Amino acid sequence: MSTPAHKNPTIIANGIATLEEINDLCRSLHYAALLTDDGFEVVSLPGTRVQGSRMASMASSMQALSDAVAREVRIGSSEYIIIAAEKGYVIQLRIPGETLVLSAMFGDSETLGKALSVSRLASTKMAALMSSATA
Amino acid sequence: MAEHVILFAGPMGAGKTTAIQTLSEIDVVLTEAENTERDVADKPTTTVALDYGEITLGDDEKVRLYGVPGQRRFDFMWEILKERAIGLVLLVNNDAPDPVASVLEFLEEFGELYDRGGVVIGISRADVSATPTVADYADAIAVRRPDLVVPIFTIDARNASQMHMVLMTLILNIETRAAMKASGHLSS
Repeated sequence: MSTPAHKNPTIIANGIATLEEINDLCRSLHYAALLTDDGFEVVSLPGTRVQGSRMASMASSMQALSDAVAREVRIGSSEYIIIAAEKGYVIQLRIPGETLVLSAMFGDSETLGKALSVSRLASTKMAALMSSATA
Repeated sequence: MAEHVILFAGPMGAGKTTAIQTLSEIDVVLTEAENTERDVADKPTTTVALDYGEITLGDDEKVRLYGVPGQRRFDFMWEILKERAIGLVLLVNNDAPDPVASVLEFLEEFGELYDRGGVVIGISRADVSATPTVADYADAIAVRRPDLVVPIFTIDARNASQMHMVLMTLILNIETRAAMKASGHLSS
């Protein structure tokens, strides 16, 4: 039985590096976390105001529901989810090739385009780190 | 056409997704994710949002079947899905650690569905573990909630006739209690 992602030191270290990079690129970031597909938080930015474990479970459900909708209407696999609210955005992306999801919350001072761009960059970086770790 | 919304709840590995797949006339909407808790339930995937299926009973009764995730960390889905439901199929696997406690815990969480319609309990994997018995569950419920009248079955979630029996018992229970409430023989 392999070590679950949320207890795997390599994945946790890669996750911390990825989240720190988003934080450096986007100062309006309020929360960011990597989570497993089944809703466990792998790592999150410290000092954030979100209850991480609950957010990880909710993000997992949202990811699965968006996958189910994309499957139902036959438009391929779901690439990302955007929740645009009055005071900010939540963006979620699957880490390519992994059973991990990146969830990030940005304040309303950010443009949606930049928030999405930074999130995609981080997701790609995490995939590359994971790939080099297993190479 | 009359419609009922029925929830399937219970701990991870009890057979909720399988039961809905067995009963549903449509392709079941699944939200499965890789299960990282193989020490809790040794199965490759687990439901993380909901399962959804449908079945038609008779000529004019549609039943919408929703499965909820078994893990407490998804209890926000329990609250969302409870809102429209009028009945509960509570499944528990008999070879899990302390399944009687699980039943009592889920009855507590979903107790409002008993008040709103009805509850039936299905004990799965009773062929793997002979105890606790149906009587053990009934005794524990009688002590904790003597006000509840809850049918208890041993089931195989893959068996269509067994699952139909469970569902029909629940629907009959709901409709009988609704009729009794309407006639003033049961307080609402």
